[in-house]
Amino acid sequence: MAAVNYVAASRVYAKGAPPAVDALDLDIKDGEFMVLVGPSGSGKTTALRMLAGLEPLDGGRIEIAGRDVSDVQPKDRDIAMVFQNYALYPSKTVAENMGFALKMQHVPRDERARRVREAARLLELDDKLLDRKPKALSGGQRQRVAMGRAIVREPQVFLMDEPLSNLDAKLRVQTRSQIAELQRRLGITTVYVTHDQVEAMTMGHRVAVLADGKLQQCDTPRQLYDNPVNQFVAGFIGSPAMNLQTVPLTESGVRLAGTVIRLPTAVRTAASQADLREIVLGIRPEHLHLADGVGELHAEVMLVGTDGAELTGEVLLVEELGADALLHVRLADGGGSVVTRTEGRKAPVPGQQVRFRVQPADVFAFHPVTGARLAG
Amino acid sequence: MTAITATQAPSRTSRFAKNRARELTGKTGWTVLGWVVGIAFFLPVLWMVITAFKPESAAETWPPQFVFKPTLAQFRLVFSGMGPFLEHSAIATVGSTILVLLLAIPAAYALAIRPVKHWRDGLFFFISTKMLPIVAAIGPLYVIALKTHLLDSIWVLIILYAAMNLPLAIWMIRSFMLEVPTEMLEAARLDGAGRIREMSEVIMPVVVPGIVSTALICVIFAWNELFLAINLTVTNAATMPMFLISSVPQEGLYIAHLSAAATVASVPVIIVGWIAQRSLVRGLSMGAIK
Amino acid sequence: MTIIQDVVSPPVAQIGPRGVSRRESWQRRLPLLPALIYTIVVTQIPFLFTLWYSFQHYFWNEPGGAHWIGVSNYKEVFTDANFRSAVVKSVTMTAIAVIVAMLLGVALAVMLDKKFFGRGIVRTLIITPFLVMPAAAALVWAGPMLDPNFGLVNWLLQPFGIHHVAWLSNHAYGSVVLVMIWQWTPFMTLIVLAGLQGQASDVLEAAKVDGASAWATFRELTFPHLRPYIELGILLGSIYLVNAFDQVRLMTNGGPGTETTTLPFFLYQKVNYAFDVGGAAAAGVVTVILTIIVASFALRMFARVFQFEEAR
Repeated sequence: MAAVNYVAASRVYAKGAPPAVDALDLDIKDGEFMVLVGPSGSGKTTALRMLAGLEPLDGGRIEIAGRDVSDVQPKDRDIAMVFQNYALYPSKTVAENMGFALKMQHVPRDERARRVREAARLLELDDKLLDRKPKALSGGQRQRVAMGRAIVREPQVFLMDEPLSNLDAKLRVQTRSQIAELQRRLGITTVYVTHDQVEAMTMGHRVAVLADGKLQQCDTPRQLYDNPVNQFVAGFIGSPAMNLQTVPLTESGVRLAGTVIRLPTAVRTAASQADLREIVLGIRPEHLHLADGVGELHAEVMLVGTDGAELTGEVLLVEELGADALLHVRLADGGGSVVTRTEGRKAPVPGQQVRFRVQPADVFAFHPVTGARLAG
Repeated sequence: MTAITATQAPSRTSRFAKNRARELTGKTGWTVLGWVVGIAFFLPVLWMVITAFKPESAAETWPPQFVFKPTLAQFRLVFSGMGPFLEHSAIATVGSTILVLLLAIPAAYALAIRPVKHWRDGLFFFISTKMLPIVAAIGPLYVIALKTHLLDSIWVLIILYAAMNLPLAIWMIRSFMLEVPTEMLEAARLDGAGRIREMSEVIMPVVVPGIVSTALICVIFAWNELFLAINLTVTNAATMPMFLISSVPQEGLYIAHLSAAATVASVPVIIVGWIAQRSLVRGLSMGAIK
Repeated sequence: MTIIQDVVSPPVAQIGPRGVSRRESWQRRLPLLPALIYTIVVTQIPFLFTLWYSFQHYFWNEPGGAHWIGVSNYKEVFTDANFRSAVVKSVTMTAIAVIVAMLLGVALAVMLDKKFFGRGIVRTLIITPFLVMPAAAALVWAGPMLDPNFGLVNWLLQPFGIHHVAWLSNHAYGSVVLVMIWQWTPFMTLIVLAGLQGQASDVLEAAKVDGASAWATFRELTFPHLRPYIELGILLGSIYLVNAFDQVRLMTNGGPGTETTTLPFFLYQKVNYAFDVGGAAAAGVVTVILTIIVASFALRMFARVFQFEEAR
């Protein structure tokens, strides 16, 4: 069992300063691929380094497989780490890099060589690379050596600190799936840090969103997308980002672009209980259904009936993605601008007036000050 | 999210305090060692300065005196005698350094920015002159100096010190010039800047601190130089190192006076060195290490 | 479809880099010329003269000037036991000083790399010996420090049971080497420190995670990383130290006897006391040849040091 538990773990750099990691509570199951995601400064890397033992704990504790490792040296925690810049040993060959930890554990040479070869095979690293030094390798090869160095150790936990951020876009997509598949095959608990929410969503079994050192939400990707717990998570997860606008409340809902969008009763109740005059309204781009002759494809729109609100606006910009197109639309009546998604081939052109339908059930409401999701 | 009771996990402040305490004890060990070593290395210099304030009677005693009545008598003696020596050292040092910079800056430019075809050979030539022992040519050098009427003239020192420091200066300034971002040079070229403009408006602003440190390193080496001075000068161009030697008489007490002379002779360079500390490595390694 | 190999027509002219125009070439050379010409004139001409005089009989306390005697100066040099002894002394003193200074330098650099209170000041204290005028250092060590009757060193060593040692008489060689080490350890320290500070911190963290102890990390990672710096330090230190003159002249004057007579001092003596310009020239030429042999190894090492930087 190699579950990992953060129990009120904190890291403070200077007395009185805001904590870099603020009482983090996170339970990672054995064999799970947990992604820590957040913008820079969110504390995700610090949290990872605390697990590695590279940063001391200033509060709380960390457990691996039920054992409190808060004061244990990194080398005794049975973990392996892949660093953002790979941190390969420059004076050693690839084989020596990968076998270094085993050498430190006094594993006999033959056994070391065998395990290194196995890991190299697993990562599709050519045999002749084994005798090269890191500076003679490409970025992608170095990344794989860094992973190989971790795999060879057969640890209880894998730690990965943004291992894909130095790769070019195409390689990144390729390696992403390789890493996810590798983890599935090896079944080792993995804690993975990234600032890229696409990586988080595609790779993690569960994703923990951090901001300002605090855990915002920890859930499966699907749950994070469909049920964000606050405005930050809603705006962070999903690409293109959710459209967020501060809008005034009306009797039955909110006013946007000259129209009233009805809100579910539960949300209205929560808003009035909190004495709110306005809320932050969130609508995902794909929930703004193009309602004009051009691009009316969604069958559900037909069933919308009177419940769905209709918004109008002028197209500012069309971004072609191939299969889809993103429309940047300025809403009527000073309603701000939104981004919506529509089928690529039948997209409108800039300057054109368009109409949208949006369902009240698809809409999110957040507290304008705390950002917390209202009812839902 | 279960609530953590006080007995399960140490509070944030106590853990924080424990970590800080641990860091502190580690630091203390190194601090003690560091200071012991630092003082050990500095001790001779410290002793030199202390002895300079002693009257001769207190300087040659057993055991050595640490408590005494300090006097400025030695310094007064030193200041009264060192005038011409100081002047010569200053002229030789400043003069040779200016000459070095005039020669080295264009040379470094030719070896760094828009490099000459055989720049590697050029650099190696300069450093090879540093490797050849000047001591081997001292006899003929004396004769040449004699025949050109430069013997015992400040010019012979200026010329030779410049030649001594030139390779160092070229390597050092070149390494600073290599740090000018290529984009800046390309942008200037696109804007139509010729060589002069490129030099004065793009390169020099970036390189000036480096040139200052190079100059300071050259000053250190020229000021401290003894071998050429002792062989090629007598009175008209005698420098501070020579003054030091002259403060060791054949007989009589001299230790305190010597210490004062040594202090006065060394202090300017020590201060220059402390200021130029950061570039010392670069200068000494001929620009190889930043 | 078969492809017929074309063996008949002459090869098409390869496209290669055109390089710069001639005018541009000269424009580039121009700034280099002053320094180049100056160096050649000031350093090579004396050596040509040295070569010339090495074949002459020339004592300047004799009237009549110089006259040709072929290689007899050289014969003298090679049969002179003092010359051989001077070479050996130079080599051994330099080697010992450089090696000990480097060992101390590595230790001090490791210490200065750690954070502690007043680290900057300690660093400044440690580099001071290097900045002290060598002549001043030599005289201060000879007098206030090592004097048998009132020197500080003898007083400091009393608790260890060592009494009134006449350092410069009985341990001249060691004393001179000691001062060399004192003055050059800071140099080695700074170079190695630069190397230490250039090590990527994440590589050291990776080693920590991989289970390496502090000693294993130093042995397996830091030391290979430091090797080029150590080599550079030893190379440069040797170049400077083999020409060291001040300490010998001012502390022991080459003595007692020839115990501390190094090559630079030997040449100085030949010129200033024997007034033998011809003999000194021949000895000088031999010195230069020896130096060239050693320097060619050194230059090759310097070429490797070039890996520290790239050309434009």
